[in-house]
Amino acid sequence: MPDGTPPNKLVEVYDLKMHFPIYGGVLRRRVGEVKAVDGVSFDIHEGETLGLVGESGCGKSTCGRAVLRLYEVTDGAVKIEGENIADWSAEHLRKVRPKMQMVFQDPQASLNPRMTVASIIGEPLDEHTRQSKKDKLNRVYHLMDAVGLNRDFANRYPHEFSGGQRQRIGIARALALNPRFIVCDEPIAALDVSIQAQVVNLLEDLQEEFGLTYLFISHDLSMVRHIADRVAVMYLGKIVELAPRDALYDSPLHPYTQALLSAVPEPDPSLEARTERIILKGDVPSPANPPKGCNFCTRCPQVMDICRQTEPEYREVAPGHFTACHLQDGQPQQQQQQQATDAGQPAPAQRQEQSQQGEDT
Amino acid sequence: MPDGQLPVLDVRDLKTVFRTRRGEVHAVNSVSFDLKPGELLGVVGESGSGKSVTMMSLIGLLPSPPAEVRDGQVLFGDNDLLKADEDTLRAIRGARIGFVFQDPMTSLNPVFTVGYQLMEPLRKHMGLNKKAARARAQELLELVGIPDAGRRLKDYPHQFSGGMRQRVMIAIALACDPEVLIADEPTTALDVTIQAQILELVKELRQKLGMAIVWITHDLGVIAGIADRVMVMYGGQIVEHAPVKELFGNPQHPYTRALLGTVPAMHGTREARLRVIEGQPPVLDAPPAACPFRARCTHSFERCERENPPRIPVGPLHDAACFWNPATGGPRDA
Ligand SMILES: Nc1ncnc2c1ncn2[C@@H]1O[C@H](COP(=O)(O)OP(=O)(O)OP(=O)(O)O)[C@@H](O)[C@H]1O
Ligand SMILES: Nc1ncnc2c1ncn2[C@@H]1O[C@H](COP(=O)(O)OP(=O)(O)O)[C@@H](O)[C@H]1O
Ligand code: SF4
Ligand code: SF4
Ligand SMILES: [Mg+2]
Ligand SMILES: [Mg+2]
Repeated sequence: MPDGTPPNKLVEVYDLKMHFPIYGGVLRRRVGEVKAVDGVSFDIHEGETLGLVGESGCGKSTCGRAVLRLYEVTDGAVKIEGENIADWSAEHLRKVRPKMQMVFQDPQASLNPRMTVASIIGEPLDEHTRQSKKDKLNRVYHLMDAVGLNRDFANRYPHEFSGGQRQRIGIARALALNPRFIVCDEPIAALDVSIQAQVVNLLEDLQEEFGLTYLFISHDLSMVRHIADRVAVMYLGKIVELAPRDALYDSPLHPYTQALLSAVPEPDPSLEARTERIILKGDVPSPANPPKGCNFCTRCPQVMDICRQTEPEYREVAPGHFTACHLQDGQPQQQQQQQATDAGQPAPAQRQEQSQQGEDT
Repeated sequence: MPDGQLPVLDVRDLKTVFRTRRGEVHAVNSVSFDLKPGELLGVVGESGSGKSVTMMSLIGLLPSPPAEVRDGQVLFGDNDLLKADEDTLRAIRGARIGFVFQDPMTSLNPVFTVGYQLMEPLRKHMGLNKKAARARAQELLELVGIPDAGRRLKDYPHQFSGGMRQRVMIAIALACDPEVLIADEPTTALDVTIQAQILELVKELRQKLGMAIVWITHDLGVIAGIADRVMVMYGGQIVEHAPVKELFGNPQHPYTRALLGTVPAMHGTREARLRVIEGQPPVLDAPPAACPFRARCTHSFERCERENPPRIPVGPLHDAACFWNPATGGPRDA
């Protein structure tokens, strides 16, 4: 993104909540709820990749699906190009759906085994367009070219392909209707290391070629560092930190982000010996029964009394750097992000304090 | 680890084939390695490279048919495990050689309590009575860091989290004080912060108990952190083998070199583009007559099509199955 021009927000998410009911007892009455996503807010700028990381069950997939309104959300607003999609009728949603697509983790499970590759990739065209058979087939061929699949494979079935190739089929299908925004939910998690790089490069090429915007969900922190422009870290249904990539990786502010990053094993034995690893105790609490106060207080190495009482506020503590932690309570709230960056005066004193704090942890 | 020590486990020329309706799958091709007392041998390779089949072949855990261990020797103490009868194997499995598998839910029995599953091998292999077995079971759960161990013995596997189940599996594998622990992708299904807990635990247990460990993973980072020595597998063969620092610092096989290049860094410069290994892993439908990596190798030449390279010594305790010499950029004399 060029400096100076304020980025254009393609997706805006405000205080999004997705709670799933839990039924129990003989009468199958509603006895509680899983707070899978519990009040998250973020923007995604046009043409950028926002990485969404966090551990299993923290709510990444639910968040991605809710943003595409594949769920009736419990609360909050999602705006795409300034329009609140929560207000959209089913009919209107159907019309705009092609603009927003999803690529799934398990390429095997998300492709119909009884359909040929051509019919899988062409299916969205059947549903949403009235192209002639010939035009459709041409489009399918172009899509296959774009994702690096040999046209000769058009009449084969998914089981005849490798995992990486199946993921290419899923991506080609997602591209069929010229989407602007794609939620990639762990698109490489089921693939081998040597194949992961192929798929990530492909996603990057397609982004450049078609000006795509990605929400890239992953638990692979080194891959997210490679692909994302900004990164959001989720823990137990909430975003605990969101920052530009380098700020997040080089000077994480939230104790959970710090622990998460330090836990990634590095393929370098000499570095490995030097790394100070933060080992968290215990497990993630259940999202049906999150702790009082800060969600991370049961495992946080820096927990204070206030953390068990009061939930920390999610706020911007440095330009573009958001976090929710009482350790930041002394930090003044940033001006509106936009104003701060536009005016070109991102309060240098505060910034320094921030980065120092990041470094000595 | 001092070289020259007698190995606890010595595997020679292991070949395992699956007979399927579509023909044979040559899953393991002439794999040889040994394991010294107290060392941790890392095994890396992508899925299908033969890591699990190799280890399951060692102690007769593969169903036959379709599996057939066609050749080789597995020397463990006075026994060749490939010739041993089922009773001998059963006495060795779980007692002298412990196992931990990738998915703890499939290897723990959901209908028995964790306490029962811990006590059973203690009573069967060590002849402990119920009371002694319970005391030892509690001790083992404490050893692997499960809080409130006494009470948790009465719980069923589904009452534990994924990370705790993996700890329980490790406790079971350690129950009879094995000489060898084989861990097949024990942290692959776990989150990184939980994986970090388990890796820390293993480092601790090695110091306390001193058994030899084979640790299988596809994660180069995990290997870098815990292994003494590493074998890299590709297409059912060991393509490179070296002490851990040597392997990461001076990789010789084109596959190892490419693999190290595909993992993006957590620190320092970010490459604009990820390096890739083009193509797909090999189909193992025949015994190898050429280098298994040749179709994806950027250095392959005519000889690689004709011959399957043997493991060529390339340095102290370091060998690579490749005809190409990265130092000269030309063929290796061999
Ligand atoms: N349809 C549903 N009904 C009830 N609970 C659900 C439903 N979908 C998800 N959950 C719960 O919501 C929480 C968040 O789930 P989600 O799938 O979003 O996690 P995730 O971060 O994508 O995890 P992973 O990394 O394992 O994919 C989990 O506790 C999950 O069990
Ligand atoms: N039951 C089986 N029948 C046929 N082929 C099998 C069977 N089990 C494993 N294989 C094949 O053996 C090879 C090695 O598999 P495996 O050892 O499980 O790989 P890894 O553990 O390295 O991922 C693969 O080609 C796999 O498809
Ligand atoms: S608010 Fe308290 S418990 Fe939560 S992350 Fe910050 S220091 Fe830790
Ligand atoms: S033997 Fe030839 S094809 Fe095989 S890895 Fe070496 S150079 Fe490449
Ligand atoms: Mg998910
Ligand atoms: Mg395996």
